[in-house]
Amino acid sequence: MLSYLVKRAFYMVPTLVLTSILVFVLIELPPGDYLESYVAELLAAGETVDPKEIEFLRVEYGFDRPVWERYFKWASGMLVGDFGYSFEYQLPVRDVIGDRLFFTILVTFFTIIFTWIVAFPIGIYSATHQYSWGDYGLTFFGLLGLATPNFLLALIMMYLANRWFGTSIGGLVDPDYIDQPLSLGKIMSVLEHLWIPVIVIGTSGTAAMIRRVRANLLDELRKPYVTTARAKGIPEFRGLMKYPFRMSLNFFIADIGGMLPQIISGAEIVAIVMSLETTGPLLIQALQSQDMYLAGSFLMMLGFLTVIGVLISDIALAVLDPRIRLQGGVSR
Amino acid sequence: MALTQRALLEVNNLQVSFDIQGGRVEAVKDASFSVYPGKVLALVGESGSGKSVIAQSILRILPRNGSIDGGSILFNDPSDENEPIDIAKLDDRDPLLYELRGGRISMVFQEPMTALSPLHTIGNQVEEALTLHHKKSASEARSDTEEILKLVGFPNPEQGYEMYSFELSGGLRQRAVIAMALICNPAMVIADEPTTALDVTVQAQILGLMKELQKKFNTAILLITHDLGVVANMADDVVVIYHGKIMESGPIDVIYNRPQHPYLKALMAAVPHFDMKPGERLVSLRDMGKDNSAIHNLAHKFRASAADEKMDGPHLKVENLHKEFMIRKGTWFGSQNDRKVVAVDDVSFEIKKGECLGLVGESGSGKTTVSKLIMRALSATSGSVSLNGSGGMVDVLALQGDELMAFRRKVQMIFQDPFSSLNPRMTVQNILREPLAIHDVGNNADQQKDIVDLMSLVGLDPRFLNRYPHSFSGGQRQRIGIARALALHPDIMICDEPVSALDVSVQAQVLNLLNDLRTELGLTSLFISHNLAVVNYVADRIAVMCQGKLVELASREQLFENPSHPYTKTLLASVPYPDLDRLLDFEKVTFASSMETDNWGLAFRPSDAGKLVRMRVDEGHFVLANENCDVRELSA
Repeated sequence: MLSYLVKRAFYMVPTLVLTSILVFVLIELPPGDYLESYVAELLAAGETVDPKEIEFLRVEYGFDRPVWERYFKWASGMLVGDFGYSFEYQLPVRDVIGDRLFFTILVTFFTIIFTWIVAFPIGIYSATHQYSWGDYGLTFFGLLGLATPNFLLALIMMYLANRWFGTSIGGLVDPDYIDQPLSLGKIMSVLEHLWIPVIVIGTSGTAAMIRRVRANLLDELRKPYVTTARAKGIPEFRGLMKYPFRMSLNFFIADIGGMLPQIISGAEIVAIVMSLETTGPLLIQALQSQDMYLAGSFLMMLGFLTVIGVLISDIALAVLDPRIRLQGGVSR
Repeated sequence: MALTQRALLEVNNLQVSFDIQGGRVEAVKDASFSVYPGKVLALVGESGSGKSVIAQSILRILPRNGSIDGGSILFNDPSDENEPIDIAKLDDRDPLLYELRGGRISMVFQEPMTALSPLHTIGNQVEEALTLHHKKSASEARSDTEEILKLVGFPNPEQGYEMYSFELSGGLRQRAVIAMALICNPAMVIADEPTTALDVTVQAQILGLMKELQKKFNTAILLITHDLGVVANMADDVVVIYHGKIMESGPIDVIYNRPQHPYLKALMAAVPHFDMKPGERLVSLRDMGKDNSAIHNLAHKFRASAADEKMDGPHLKVENLHKEFMIRKGTWFGSQNDRKVVAVDDVSFEIKKGECLGLVGESGSGKTTVSKLIMRALSATSGSVSLNGSGGMVDVLALQGDELMAFRRKVQMIFQDPFSSLNPRMTVQNILREPLAIHDVGNNADQQKDIVDLMSLVGLDPRFLNRYPHSFSGGQRQRIGIARALALHPDIMICDEPVSALDVSVQAQVLNLLNDLRTELGLTSLFISHNLAVVNYVADRIAVMCQGKLVELASREQLFENPSHPYTKTLLASVPYPDLDRLLDFEKVTFASSMETDNWGLAFRPSDAGKLVRMRVDEGHFVLANENCDVRELSA
């Protein structure tokens, strides 16, 4: 098992190298660079541009270097936590992302928990009471959540929260607390704001999750080993949890791989509508303005989280499912 | 005495129905029977007869859309003097019900693979049955579990406890399920087709084990099966059920020697057995119509395509065929753990024109791999396959491109599972037309005429051509599969277990059809089966395979009258006959695994002095034996 882990982790290296090359090629692809669009912007505003200054900046940022050299500088920098420099913000990328990452992880974490807490019980109920009124009713509400556009729900919820609880519109903290050090009041304020995006983002995911839990569990409930367990005299709920439910979890564990990248890129539209200080809007903006190192680092982080997520799912699956742990493949 | 004894389980006028789309279906109508302590009652019927539904009703584990509408199921626990419990009247959540399930009445299932959870160890699942009903400390429970695993024949119970179901052979899995059923020492075990999914030698072992344990614990068994041979060997009393109604019941000797009900008589006549005279036909329960003009049309075409420059001599020749598979173990890296498995090991045989060669063996013996190699669905590691045609013997394994395409027409296959071998999204019309379209045979009108002829040939109404496979029964689907295989007028038909998924009555119908087609169309065929009685009914010569090797090859009469190889002997000794005078000798088959080459006589094992070669026993009768052995030893 340990050697498997080491080998499996080692596998990630070539994947990440390939990803970084791909990302770099992608952000290099559009014609021109940040300085050119910057100069164009200044000229359009009627300002004079000193060619010397531009030339200085060009050397400073390394735009005069060949492509492969810039790639190595960027890639090797990432290894030691230096993600490059954001032209737009005139700050190292790390500092730009820093705060926002914390809020993003906070929102996403609670959203995932919210989705699970709602989706699992409903999914299990729907599967065990297939075609009952309860099944139809809960499924209907789930689908309603899926069908309502998130931005609309976000606007309605913000309005209601403001009317009923006096919560300030938009953002994740009350304006008074922005740039304040962490305090109990700030935490309370964050929690006060947090539940709206969590519910808005969560509702769409919940419906899909309910359907998947239901479908997977239904498949398992028909299997003969469930009858075996019942014939042993196991109480229904205990039997349900021990056998078919556990079996149906595989899909869900395999899902973790897709869940991690969502942490930083998920729900951009909601974040923009609610002006949340998360990373989603930042990524969109960076792509628009050719802020290449910021965008590149973002994409790289997405790639890294995907690879890590898949690794975690693989390990969790191997731990939980002996068939994966003990059976090898057969070649033809 | 049975009459004075209190019945353990009394089923009175039981009625069970299922809610399905568009109405209710009565699955069990007014069924009554009794099970006595320490006796085996066999409940015999075909699929859909309601026999499993009765079993589920007794444990109250019916699917959610099923309900008991009437009657009673009285359970008299011999261990107490209380009034009988009416299981049918208990509430779904009654704790008494949970006590009975697994504790006093337990169950053995058909599919040992799927009846066990692959995520939990064998020990965990067996032990659970115990701890649900008895308070035990962890170490007590574990030692009790290991003890019962030992009792059911686990060679190493401590290790077996920690294993998962997919790591065990089918036989061991079923032993684990039996252990689970017996660990609480129940008053009654319901065995629902306990050996149907197993190989014939394993079946004999499991039946022997059940019989032995049943005597030891004095447990009553309700044995549910469709196999009259199994019934003859196991049961004290028999109940025959058909379409949810009990047709006939009584002690086994009365039922077998003087069957009264026409259904039971027909069932008995539909089973192929070894005492059939040459040319004797099975009597199918539901005979199908036949269309002579269709046969005439097709026979004409078959002769036309068979005339293709044939020489004398064998029709298909397989020489020294080898196939190896690589099994990767453990990691996704490297080849350090690769293991070679020899699936087919030096197999040679010939099939003459118009002959049917039976290929017999247990699962994993390599018989299906041989058929796939002949079909060119897999590539052989070495050896040759040649087919008579185009002015000589054609090397099948070397064919490429257009020649390979032309060869595909000549070899067609009938598959085991009539449900998954037909595309559910194609109409029968399209299914039958597809081979003609692929090989571009004739124009539209010709194809249509062929399709209609094929349908009538297999006894189906051509008006059904626009239906989808799901609207046909298993037997009808298998006939569609046969029609599809015949569409291209093949030189050779490979039938891979064509009747093993079918009920006895339907099996007779399909076997008769195959036999008729053979005589009328002059078909040459390779018939693969694990069922010796079926092979005996259709084949001229029989080849026996074991662990990839062809161990014996003989004519049907020679093989059954004078089997030479020890494996063939075990195979023949393991077949349960539906005949009370020829019961299985459980002593002989139990635990003496036929797969253990060490149990074979010296003459059949390779030694330092000589390797295994094909030795002649008699005219046309060969056996795989040591080259230095005494020939007289072989026919002993």
